[in-house]
Amino acid sequence: MATLNITYDGMSADVPVEFDGHVADADIRRIATELVRSGGVPGLHLSQLHHEAFAHFVVDRFRGARGEERIYLRPKVPFGAR
Amino acid sequence: MRIVFCGVGAIGSTAAVLCRNLEATLVFVDFDRVESKNLLAQAYVKPSVGKNKAEALKLQFLNLHGVKTEAHGVRITRDNVEALCGGADLLVDCMDNRDSRLLLSDFARRAGKPLVHGAVSGDGTFGLVRWDEHFVPDAEDTPGQATCEGGAHLPLLGLLAATLARTVQDFMKHGTRRDSIVNLSTVMS
Repeated sequence: MATLNITYDGMSADVPVEFDGHVADADIRRIATELVRSGGVPGLHLSQLHHEAFAHFVVDRFRGARGEERIYLRPKVPFGAR
Repeated sequence: MRIVFCGVGAIGSTAAVLCRNLEATLVFVDFDRVESKNLLAQAYVKPSVGKNKAEALKLQFLNLHGVKTEAHGVRITRDNVEALCGGADLLVDCMDNRDSRLLLSDFARRAGKPLVHGAVSGDGTFGLVRWDEHFVPDAEDTPGQATCEGGAHLPLLGLLAATLARTVQDFMKHGTRRDSIVNLSTVMS
């Protein structure tokens, strides 16, 4: 069991997800879109979410202190243009 | 112990103020000068306008808090990064551009220095605290993509700076390294 965190439009929510092995970043974005549209993410139900809403989002993957997998789907953080 | 804050703008100056209780030498590095607009979102006061940010913050720590610090009013470059950061026990990246963050990251990895980054999204909806081992600067979707320059989004900046300061404090006291994602309703670590 992994925890997927989705940050979108100033909101952020966790949802537990069951994956069989490694899931590609593109699939994380697709799964997140479906979860948000369907109301499967507590506090983040957007039924009209555009199918490319997460197209440029970043997928970060971390292991928690007890080895649990945490996946963050978030917008990019611009670090300036210089 | 020596903590070097690289960049003391909105995030760096606020986080540094929240680290004033630490038994450590706080070092500020920033080439920029305080502008009037900075007073709205950065830990500076009106008499500091026109002064170098690192020097101005050093003065405020001494005059307002009674805490001695060090200041270097220069831009971090490949030529001076070793001199500025080589003695650090912890590096804190609060700079506002990708090139400088990468330069500091390269140095920290070569020198084996712990480095933590703080950054906010340009639209002011969330921010990140990331240890360097988890740090990959995002590419811009479009050149010149907006940053938080100008001091908008003060409540989020405050929350992010507080989270960064807590991360610094936990590292100094317990050696823990926690990454966080922050928005106005949630702090997740």
